[in-house]
Amino acid sequence: MLKLVVCIKQVPMVTELPWDSQTSTLRRELSEGMMNPACKHALEAGLRLKQKHGTHITAITMGPAMAEEVLYEATSMGADRGVLLTDPRMAGADTLVTSFTMARAIEKVCPDFDLVLCGCHSTDSETAQVGPQLAEELDVPSAAYVEHLELNGRRLRIQRLSDNFLETLEFNLPGLITISTQHYLPRYIPLKGLQDAFGQADIITIDADNLSLDPEIIGIKGSPTKILDICSPSAGKKNIVMKGAAKKIVEELFERFDDKIGAAIGKDLKVDE
Amino acid sequence: MDFNPCMKHKMVRKTVREFAETELGPIAYEIDREARFPWEVIEKMRELNFFGLQVPKEYGGADMDSISYAITIEELSRVCAAIGLCVTVHNGVGTYPIVRFGTTEQKNRFLPKLASGESIGAFCLTEANAGSDAGSVETHAMLDGDEYVINGTKIFVTNGGVCGCPLIFALTNPKNPGRSASVFIVEKDTPGFSVGEIEDLCGMRANPVSSLFLEDCRVPAKNLLGRPGDGLKIGLTALDTGRIGIAAQALGIAQAAFEASVKYSKERQQFKKPISSFQTIQNYLADMATQIDAARLLAYRACAIKDAGKSFGAESSMAKLYCSGVASQVTNLAVEIHGAYGYSKEYDVERYFRDAKVTEIYEGTNEIQRMIISRAVLTKPT
Repeated sequence: MLKLVVCIKQVPMVTELPWDSQTSTLRRELSEGMMNPACKHALEAGLRLKQKHGTHITAITMGPAMAEEVLYEATSMGADRGVLLTDPRMAGADTLVTSFTMARAIEKVCPDFDLVLCGCHSTDSETAQVGPQLAEELDVPSAAYVEHLELNGRRLRIQRLSDNFLETLEFNLPGLITISTQHYLPRYIPLKGLQDAFGQADIITIDADNLSLDPEIIGIKGSPTKILDICSPSAGKKNIVMKGAAKKIVEELFERFDDKIGAAIGKDLKVDE
Repeated sequence: MDFNPCMKHKMVRKTVREFAETELGPIAYEIDREARFPWEVIEKMRELNFFGLQVPKEYGGADMDSISYAITIEELSRVCAAIGLCVTVHNGVGTYPIVRFGTTEQKNRFLPKLASGESIGAFCLTEANAGSDAGSVETHAMLDGDEYVINGTKIFVTNGGVCGCPLIFALTNPKNPGRSASVFIVEKDTPGFSVGEIEDLCGMRANPVSSLFLEDCRVPAKNLLGRPGDGLKIGLTALDTGRIGIAAQALGIAQAAFEASVKYSKERQQFKKPISSFQTIQNYLADMATQIDAARLLAYRACAIKDAGKSFGAESSMAKLYCSGVASQVTNLAVEIHGAYGYSKEYDVERYFRDAKVTEIYEGTNEIQRMIISRAVLTKPT
């Protein structure tokens, strides 16, 4: 049976972002968490492989104790077990150290993995670095922003959108892919799954000592990236009343605001002309 | 005593809220307006175990605890009370009596269909001359060989238009109504069973409430739930459970009206200020928030007592009485805060206001709840 590892991250709900100005990091313990949307798509991709090929899925997350919630969510959706990687000494890790730590944990809990799936990016930091860096740490081939995947024996064929064309790649397992949010729309959690997860889910917790990691090379201490400053982009609302004949004001609207409308709908209006 | 929701209950809320907002949110206005039962959403709910909330797992249910059950109904009703009603009536009074009183054969035959939502449940007590006075039921079931022949008319049956195997209250000996009330599981394709017109009601319009007619409807004797004469016991037990669902439903409606009011009061400007800056509106919001919180605690307490296996009749009546009253008061204030817009179909609070009223009436009127509570209070040893 193929063994999948799905890396999931708990991110704060967008409405709440408690920031620690002393350390320039997010105070995750104070925010209401949710599973990062792209990770949920990655889990869905894994679950579809499970339905088709009968794979075994380990969901793994790194974060504070409350991150356990996303493991219950993953097992409710159909993952076979959850692994919580938590240790106060791991807090504040940058993407490089996160990838290093996650790799050591995967080697420990699922040394014979066949495929690692990650979300393409997270909504709280948006770096999109952990997936590819994790592949380097695990020394396996990888592809990012995957939109479609097909497994044939141990040969994985993936498609990804690169600029405006669809690229098809193949590699042999083991490997790592990050899943985009375009496809693999996550399923709803069945209430029975949720009840089962809280009754009998196989969820284990591991820390730095279990992985024999030197505290000096993990967490904020081991991270070469230092955040110098964080600022919120200013945003405001303004009502503008445009008067005149419809044809004239529509033309004027596009003339004045085509860049903003284009940004809102994700399309360059000038190119279409 | 811990007032913090546990991780499981938080996840149940999050899960049901996401489903309700995504699937029911966009159509809640339309299905109320058109009085349409949304089969397309019901199909999705079937797969997610909404129809087997407290059915044991061996019959395909989710086997949830009662607080999870209440949260599920609350969150569905926060978005669409008519579908919250369908789910709670199906689970609480349409299915639970079979779980509690059914024979193994009845459980094997009916629970998988009910738990999967293939068959929607209903509870049929009310008649033209019987409602609060359950002893005045006129529908009768006469034993003929190994069948009962049922005749009578049930009215205001929630889920009536879509039910697959309703529970019918009937007298097996009309000369002795006090001791012969009985409950029968009647399958909808039984000859002699038919569904009347869908009622044109003030609220909960997406739920197909109807009359059900039984004319020489021959039902196998093995469809009798419990023994002849167990009807009142089964009915009262079912209603104790059902009231928790109605309390949760009322809570969901009140919560929706409250959230809409907070949002609107911050947006609506009068005298060049948001109306939330006026003390009168602040007082309204403070009262609404306090009442909803108190109502929620009462509802969850009834659930906790039920799950502890203790008698919870008076507590579920208190929860139903208080939560439904709060729903009416909060939705009334929500309309007040919205002014003329609140009286218009353009805003959802108008629907919440209409939906709230019936929570004071069904599953035992609030006058009956007071009777139950006072009886418990007065019979307690001092």
